[in-house]
Amino acid sequence: MKVSGLLLERLSPQEQRRLRTDRLMALFLRTCAGIAVLPVVALTVYVALRGIPALSPTFFLNSPADTEPGILNAILGSLQLTAVAILFTGPIGIAAGVYLSEYASRRVSSAGTMMIDVLLGTPSIIAGLVVFLVAVPFLGFSAWAGVLALSVLMLPVVMRTTQEVIRLVPIGVREASLALGVPVWKTTLYITCRTALSGLLTGLVLAISRGLGETAPLLLTARGTSAMNLFDFGTTINAMPMAVYEYSNTSSALLKEQAWGTALVLLVIALTLNVLVRSRTINSRVA
Amino acid sequence: MLQLTDVTAYYGDFRAVRDVNLIVPPQQVTALIGPSGCGKSTMLRSINRMHETIPGATITGSIMLDGVNIYADNIDAVRVRRAIGMVFQKPNPFPTMSIRENVASGLRLAGTLAKSEIEGVVEHSLKQAALWEEVKEKLDQPGTSLSGGQQQRLCIARAIAVKPAVLLMDEPCSALDPIATLKIEELIRSLREEYTIVIVTHNMQQASRVSDSTAFFTMGDDRAGYLVEHGETRQIFTAPKESLTEGYIAGRFG
Amino acid sequence: MTQNEGTRLGQGRLSLADPIFRLLLGAAVILAGLLLATLIVSLIGYSMPLWTVENPLHFITSDVWSGLSQAPDGSTVGGFGAAGMIFGTVVTSIIAILFAAPVGIFAAVYLVEFAPKRLATLLTFLVELIAAIPSVVIGLWAVGDLSLRLRDSVEWWVASSIGKIIPWLSEDPAAPAASSVFRAGLVLGMMILPMVVAVSREVIRSVPQSLREGYVGMGATRWETIRHVILPTAKVGIAGAVLLALGRAIGETIAVTMVIGNASRIPGSLFQSGQTIASKIAGSIAETGTPEELGSLAALGLALFLITLGLSLAVRFITRRSVVGANS
Repeated sequence: MKVSGLLLERLSPQEQRRLRTDRLMALFLRTCAGIAVLPVVALTVYVALRGIPALSPTFFLNSPADTEPGILNAILGSLQLTAVAILFTGPIGIAAGVYLSEYASRRVSSAGTMMIDVLLGTPSIIAGLVVFLVAVPFLGFSAWAGVLALSVLMLPVVMRTTQEVIRLVPIGVREASLALGVPVWKTTLYITCRTALSGLLTGLVLAISRGLGETAPLLLTARGTSAMNLFDFGTTINAMPMAVYEYSNTSSALLKEQAWGTALVLLVIALTLNVLVRSRTINSRVA
Repeated sequence: MLQLTDVTAYYGDFRAVRDVNLIVPPQQVTALIGPSGCGKSTMLRSINRMHETIPGATITGSIMLDGVNIYADNIDAVRVRRAIGMVFQKPNPFPTMSIRENVASGLRLAGTLAKSEIEGVVEHSLKQAALWEEVKEKLDQPGTSLSGGQQQRLCIARAIAVKPAVLLMDEPCSALDPIATLKIEELIRSLREEYTIVIVTHNMQQASRVSDSTAFFTMGDDRAGYLVEHGETRQIFTAPKESLTEGYIAGRFG
Repeated sequence: MTQNEGTRLGQGRLSLADPIFRLLLGAAVILAGLLLATLIVSLIGYSMPLWTVENPLHFITSDVWSGLSQAPDGSTVGGFGAAGMIFGTVVTSIIAILFAAPVGIFAAVYLVEFAPKRLATLLTFLVELIAAIPSVVIGLWAVGDLSLRLRDSVEWWVASSIGKIIPWLSEDPAAPAASSVFRAGLVLGMMILPMVVAVSREVIRSVPQSLREGYVGMGATRWETIRHVILPTAKVGIAGAVLLALGRAIGETIAVTMVIGNASRIPGSLFQSGQTIASKIAGSIAETGTPEELGSLAALGLALFLITLGLSLAVRFITRRSVVGANS
């Protein structure tokens, strides 16, 4: 009968072509995936290779002004800037995110989401530019200005993550609480937010990660300095990304090497935070 | 015609349905019935080698189509699926293709027909699927613009356009309303002239209305499905040989 | 999304806690809104002084950015022509997309349709890692390693062949440039790749399994299913992904600044130094004093902001009408 013939016949040239194409495309696709992964691997290896020689106790504990210069002022600067920035953007961002997911009407929520989208997509240099134009005349080139610029970039990250995470909390959880007679605000604060806590923290970690890695906005606001700045927010302050940028532009071999060392430190921090975030989101899929 | 010998289907280590021995008579409608989870769909999908597209899924035993073991090493699965077509539970017309393109999609893959011939086959298939009158004016509209019942008939037209020897149908009416269901049942009876049809259905009445022979599956204590009894539909429904069959027919379980 | 009905329940009570709480939260939103408003208003406002010495058309078309200075006869000469920056921004973004879009989309297809689960998770993790790496680190690596490699391989190869005929692909053999528009574009492409992959993956994954089965059931190969069913269905969502990535590319500053150089005129070849809007702003802070100079930077910033805003809106508009959308 015709069917067995169909099944047993040799592959027609056309069918051979189809199979060949399939195999070729499978190879092509795999290659694209390989190309996509290549930069990360190459970058990490290279930065490690050139950065490790720069690492030493003095590298971490000394300042540029010392006889054996280090990047302590940049490390502390980054920590201070980011810490203060998250102190502002954390609560405000979470509050705003909660409002938009829980209390806002559909129209307000939609407008709010769009606003967050725009802020998120704002290039970091613009944040720096605006703070430079508006605030630096009053604050001068200072850590405060730097904090402001970082906040512009960190706030939408917190807001967006909060929005998404709160939205995932099942309605049943809220209803159970309300049905018990718990006031709305307590429900939101102690029940809904508690349930989403892991996600909220993730938002903070993401924002911190962004804050630690930004260069452009700080160039226009906090400016960087070779001096140590401890808690004096009224004047310029250094940060690790800025150190990398400046040192890479110098002609000093030592400073150039330190640029790589600082870059390695930044890389390790960024990767660690990223892995942290991922493992949290994988574990908290239960929400 | 279509012969299953000692067929057992696995998902990894889990044995979903075991030791099936069944002959599907040509140019007839054979229904696979039984309670949920006893492997009817798995069995169906083994026939057109869709089962193996799930990672880790395998079968043992042999399935012969006209004396050729479709699982033999020298047999191309792609060809098997040309020869054995399938209609799925939820109508799945391709949303980015028009009605015409949907019906012709299988033909385009084979690429052997000229454009003018394709038009003719499209029309013929739509007529066979009892859909032509309703869509002949709007062949360029997207396949998803039709109602559920129409979409399913479109899928049937698409499947028969490539002239398969066997047509498999996996609960084709379960997502449709009663009127659409009746239309499809009529369609199935009319298609019987040209195609060998195997249909999985949950609905006993549908099986007795539509099929010529029936195979009854159930689940054993080891969670594996198995074939209890098969034979002419009339006989299964009025004088079943096994008590399990009788119990299912009478509605005592399932 | 929850519409909170609970407040109606609360209206019977005398407690002030609910309204106050709600007010506090709302205030946070308003604060964020004010931030955005400040952004927009200040960019517009501060750019005003520029238009007294420049007209918008000249601003966009001239590539002479020399600032203002006094001529011997007392008149002010010079101007702010941003054409060089606009060129740089546009060209680097295009190069970035030309690299990132095909590689990213096909990589995403591989990850969803072909790769075994474990491998897919690992590869996805690696690809998306780039997005977490600070831009200055990428810039440093690009300048320290990649840029030179590219110059001595791809650029040299192209310039010595097609570059003999096509001027914008040429280079001066005696003095190959330390920085180039092309390299900046490629680095940019690497930076936006994760976004293309991530969003495309989501879009492709949400193509219903029933469609794949329908096509395979008719005897299609894997590639045929991808080409005729999956990609067409995912088309709109993927377009959204590319636009999103484009927006990100346009605003990227530091890595590009480090690789592209500092030439404010439109370069004669892609293999020479250039400038983008973002890199110009970053590099110009030292030279700003007069309102006109500030205005020029604000105008650049405004242009950049509007472009990214426009792309954002375009993405929303496009993905609204799709079968399978990208929800980002």
